[in-house]
Amino acid sequence: MRDDSGDMRTLMLAGLAGDSAAHATLLRALLPVLRRFYRRRLAGRDDDIEDCVQETLIAVHQRRATYDPDRPFGAWVHAIARYKLIDRYRRMGRTVPIDDQPELADEFDFAQASDAHADLERLLDTIPAKQAAVLRATRIEGLSTAEAAERLGIGESDVKVSAHRALKTLADRVRGAWR
Amino acid sequence: MNTDDLIASLSADIAPVPRHALGRRAAIGMMAGAIATLLTVVVWLGLRPDLGHAMMGATFWIKWAYTISLALAATQATVRLARPDGGPGIALRLLALPVIALALIALVELISAPRSAWLEMWLGHSWMVCSRNVFLLALPIFLGLLWSFRRFAPTRLALAGMSAGLAAGAWGATLYCLHCPETSAVFVLTWYSLGMILAGLVGRLLGPLLLRW
Repeated sequence: MRDDSGDMRTLMLAGLAGDSAAHATLLRALLPVLRRFYRRRLAGRDDDIEDCVQETLIAVHQRRATYDPDRPFGAWVHAIARYKLIDRYRRMGRTVPIDDQPELADEFDFAQASDAHADLERLLDTIPAKQAAVLRATRIEGLSTAEAAERLGIGESDVKVSAHRALKTLADRVRGAWR
Repeated sequence: MNTDDLIASLSADIAPVPRHALGRRAAIGMMAGAIATLLTVVVWLGLRPDLGHAMMGATFWIKWAYTISLALAATQATVRLARPDGGPGIALRLLALPVIALALIALVELISAPRSAWLEMWLGHSWMVCSRNVFLLALPIFLGLLWSFRRFAPTRLALAGMSAGLAAGAWGATLYCLHCPETSAVFVLTWYSLGMILAGLVGRLLGPLLLRW
């Protein structure tokens, strides 16, 4: 299962032109990305997670006129998701970190949503095989750290370190592609 | 509500979004406010009786160049900040250019005049009401922008509010020129700018309160 669900930016532009089917496809394609994003930040609070996902979809729909076609689509969605997350934190009475650095995983996830530059398979070919295997197992197939460790025959901490390194490399590459 | 149902209902009726929809909506909001401000100028303050004559002189156009260039830069920043992934870009920094230009003109004017005239040039006849008037005239335009923002998605609320306040202040000042007979650059530089800055500060305070979505 590939994560980049067709070209989300193309779907977005089609939706902006009035194509309901494309718009629906886009919203559905955003679900896994958004769920992962909120699950990382609101671990265990399933109701809050799904609420946030729905709020973000509504915002993506209602505020779609604020997307600039000349800019990366993933960054636009990411900004909306972060805004809704901070709102949620506030309502939970949780202190909001002043400098909420996006996690590398978030950047990669949302970057994938952007456009054809972030062709997943091509990118994975550019990093060491072990890192690519770890990413495929954890990110694409959605295995847990333990399951990925068992499948690849390496330790769990090895899985985490490799995933982190892989994401950093890819995030740098993806960001670099936009300059 | 079930997420699948939500997606179905959101996608049910999609109206196409025209290009530059943001700019258009901001323009509509500002125009509506500007009409109210113009009415206020005409009915409450009154157009300057020598308006026709003044428009043939350089001073009037220098004032308008000042207020309009500030207004355009602040408006540009505001529209950029209407996007969730938007920053002001260089637009807010561009505000420095008209200020510097007018300051140079003011310097030349002051140097060319006897020192005894300086205080009068600076205070004019209306220094006590000028900033207040600019600020008040900004209000309808700011309200218009608040309306525009109801469809926007700003994530930097204080900055967006400040930007909107400055834009409203500058457009308000532009319309104020239709009433205000003051001519010295140092007057405009001080009192008009003060009114705009006040509008910007109020916008900055109100942004986080009023621009949420």
